[in-house]
Amino acid sequence: MSRDLDRGAEAAPLPPDPWDPLVRISHWLIAGVVLVNGLLSKPGGNLHVWLGWVALGTLAVRLLWGFVGPSEARFSAFLPDPVGALRHLRDLLRGRPSEYPSHNPAGAIMVYALWGCLAIVVATGLVMTDMKSPVTIAEDRAAVAAGDWSVLVDDSETAESDHEGDGIAKELHELAANLMLLLAMVHVGGVVIESRALRRNLVRPMLTGRGKMK
Amino acid sequence: MTGKSSRASGDRRQPLALAAVLLLQGIAAVFFVGDAVGDMLLDPTSPEGMLESLVALALVAGVVLSGLQLRAALERLATQERTLDTARGKLSDVIATQFQAWGLTPAERDVGLLALKGLDVSDIAALRGAAQGTVRAQLTRIYAKAGVSGRAQFGAWFVEDLLEDDLTLAPNEKTAARTAERS
Repeated sequence: MSRDLDRGAEAAPLPPDPWDPLVRISHWLIAGVVLVNGLLSKPGGNLHVWLGWVALGTLAVRLLWGFVGPSEARFSAFLPDPVGALRHLRDLLRGRPSEYPSHNPAGAIMVYALWGCLAIVVATGLVMTDMKSPVTIAEDRAAVAAGDWSVLVDDSETAESDHEGDGIAKELHELAANLMLLLAMVHVGGVVIESRALRRNLVRPMLTGRGKMK
Repeated sequence: MTGKSSRASGDRRQPLALAAVLLLQGIAAVFFVGDAVGDMLLDPTSPEGMLESLVALALVAGVVLSGLQLRAALERLATQERTLDTARGKLSDVIATQFQAWGLTPAERDVGLLALKGLDVSDIAALRGAAQGTVRAQLTRIYAKAGVSGRAQFGAWFVEDLLEDDLTLAPNEKTAARTAERS
């Protein structure tokens, strides 16, 4: 109740309550895929490829949501703003960050960085698997297991350069994936620090969608 | 009251289910499109390939349409929540949040609040120790940001919710229409 009393109209607005169900589900789906594929599943294995495609689908829907979703989920609510991000980090160090209706400017930069990494990881992953869907890969493997080795024959004339490209793709894939894991750790650290500074749990709205204490 | 709140939580679960299905559709569409593109590249004229493209198109269209529907449902929920907050006597919170959403500067927030309280330009200017022209210019900017024609509409923006007969949480076409109008 004391929260209500000290709040005139010129005081800070209510803490935002912004995460709609699509943002929440896609957040945890991608977090799960990144953790499993980054740390647990066998690189190049069936599960790894399946989960990579799940991440691609989730990312595609989330990016679409950035255009058609509610205002807090739209890109227009958190355009990249490096100056604002630095200002926000400075305010955070001083212990009084301000509230934002969507991602804070530093968080927004993080979002774009993570999406960028994920896009690179997915794209290079597709290059390494020759754009084959996991269904096709499974069919090919079944064929090889059954004794039909013809699918292993590389019939393209540019096989040489293809393999060279695969090497680069592999390097990029690992680099971007490791960068993404590192950024994810920074992201979690940022959430912890900001939760302390704002004195409210920032994880709960991402879990239940209810940030306000009613 | 318990009946109302259980209905409210039912309203809240609907977007959750919609969002889950939407993501599932999106992921399914990506798998299917990936497969269809592979088939098309192998044999562009095969009837299977054309059928698969058609299905892929339908899936993508379904994803976009569900997205729009989900957004409408979320906006309806937000309107209902704001209405309830207003009715609960949290009007000053609603005003502060809305001022922020309109992107009003701190000075404009002060002027806007005083205008809502019914003070006229000369009173506001005297209170703030500013010139009347300054206050007039600020009010004009506030109305522009809020997308209203003038002071009467500006005040009505916040009262309007209370005058609706849909204070019960019934999903209401009018509410949705008004939300669309506002955004």
